[in-house]
Amino acid sequence: MPTIAKRPGELLWFALLGAGMIAGAAAVVTVLIKGHGEVYNLTREIPWGILIATYVFFVVSSTGLCLVSSLGDVWGFEKFTVIGRRGHLVAILTLLTGFGTIAMELNHPLRLALYAIISPNFQSPIWWMGTLYGFYMCCLIVEFTSLMRGWTRTAFISGLAGFFAAITAHSNLGAVFGLLEARHFWYGSFLPIYFIVSALASGAALTALIVYFNHKARHIDLSPQYKEFMYTMGKLQALFLGILLFFVIWKLIPGLYGQPPEKYEATMALLTGPLAFNFWFFEMALGILIPLAIVANRRTRTVFGVMLASLLSTIGIFFMRYDLVIAGQMVPMREAEGSPSLLSYVPSVAEIAIVVGALATCLFLYTMAEKFFDLEGGHRH
Amino acid sequence: MKNKRFAIVLDTRRCIDCKACTVACKAENSVPLGRDNYRNWVTEEPLRGSYPNLGQNFAPGQCMQCANTPCNRVCPTRATGVNPDGIVFVEVKKCIGCKYCMTACPYNARYYNEETEAVDKCTFCSHRVYQGQIPACVETCPTKVRVFGDLNDPGSEVSRLLAKYPTRVMKPEMGTKPYLFYII
Repeated sequence: MPTIAKRPGELLWFALLGAGMIAGAAAVVTVLIKGHGEVYNLTREIPWGILIATYVFFVVSSTGLCLVSSLGDVWGFEKFTVIGRRGHLVAILTLLTGFGTIAMELNHPLRLALYAIISPNFQSPIWWMGTLYGFYMCCLIVEFTSLMRGWTRTAFISGLAGFFAAITAHSNLGAVFGLLEARHFWYGSFLPIYFIVSALASGAALTALIVYFNHKARHIDLSPQYKEFMYTMGKLQALFLGILLFFVIWKLIPGLYGQPPEKYEATMALLTGPLAFNFWFFEMALGILIPLAIVANRRTRTVFGVMLASLLSTIGIFFMRYDLVIAGQMVPMREAEGSPSLLSYVPSVAEIAIVVGALATCLFLYTMAEKFFDLEGGHRH
Repeated sequence: MKNKRFAIVLDTRRCIDCKACTVACKAENSVPLGRDNYRNWVTEEPLRGSYPNLGQNFAPGQCMQCANTPCNRVCPTRATGVNPDGIVFVEVKKCIGCKYCMTACPYNARYYNEETEAVDKCTFCSHRVYQGQIPACVETCPTKVRVFGDLNDPGSEVSRLLAKYPTRVMKPEMGTKPYLFYII
């Protein structure tokens, strides 16, 4: 086990994470005592809120990390082997955090475990979501173990299985929304594909963040190999963000063209309505345009620049998830005289605390994993 | 019940928006108090004309007991099911509270019941119907907006009304094939 010297900022880091986790735990206890109806700001019309968005964010991160990390071990791109162990480990941790978040959104997570087995509905995308992510999780664990032990053959096989499991599971998550005929904003084959593309952007960003901050926290200069890796991540990030921008534009156009009922209202909620600030500032400016400008320009595609772009796009992608989940539910299913043309949802303090807690827990688990596992090994220096 | 297909035919011209149906339903089915908790509703349609010549219609509604059920399709644990007579139900102990059926329903006919800890909805008062009674909302309506019956029986009042009057269903474009028919 490698020993890591105590760092001056470590105490502050753990204090911050501890505060976040305490806030999350307090919210969880409140929900368990008072019930969802009392504590969450969800309504009959908007039954899926920020916790679903956060769950999607974490599993997108996991999928993205798995896809990008497997470029080395599975697809043979030498440069990416440096991130193999870390990438797969963080993919496991983000997936676990995602599961934890959705468990807080479900009213009976334990019933799910039982009845998904004894009373399964094979037509339900949520049933497939549980099953495919379960399989994906197994692949990740086997691959991570193989990478740690140096079992290259098993790592390759489980990595290959994991790669396809990630794509299947994650596109199916898009289908959880995309197969709802009643919700015109989501419905169609677009979301399963869009989810994969945004996962790649998310995974590239997180991979760069892991490399940068891991060195920063240890006060270690990046080796030429890692520097080269960061530049490559910058180029990849430019590619993924460019494709993502293309997808976002094509998500909007069918919502505007011909003003299709309900899809148009939801699209306008993003462009000029209650979600406009989220959309223009977080999704477009922070999430795509500024990072794209940074990584597309050779002069700003420095190690710091790639990290900054990654940080911004990660924040933007969180809002992308939130806006997608909420916009799809804002148009009322039943219009009455005097009813609002768009429904509104603002997360409660407890919901936000759970999101903060989930993030803190994920970062805490990662920090601890860095202490207990040798994540540097397994590749040629 | 075998060989039956239950339905409701509504004559909205008779609706006076008294909401007795909503109250009767809440009492009959122990629906908890609260803004979001109801199994049936009365939608107010826009005012027509200008003062003093005004008119307004009201459209009572509830679970449409669709033949093509999006709620049933998406439920991961088969907590939502459909009886042979077309009544869509929720099995409380199987409901995991994922609320997927709520997002799938184009009629907003479902809510989460914090007391039973499961998604809840109109069942045409199946507990009454299976004992030979009619649903509480049908029984209580002072102007007889709703008529309940078996469409497989050609002599039933619902069959007679459907043969006599043109009717429409809500959101036909969804392809859900609802069994609540509104007389035009």
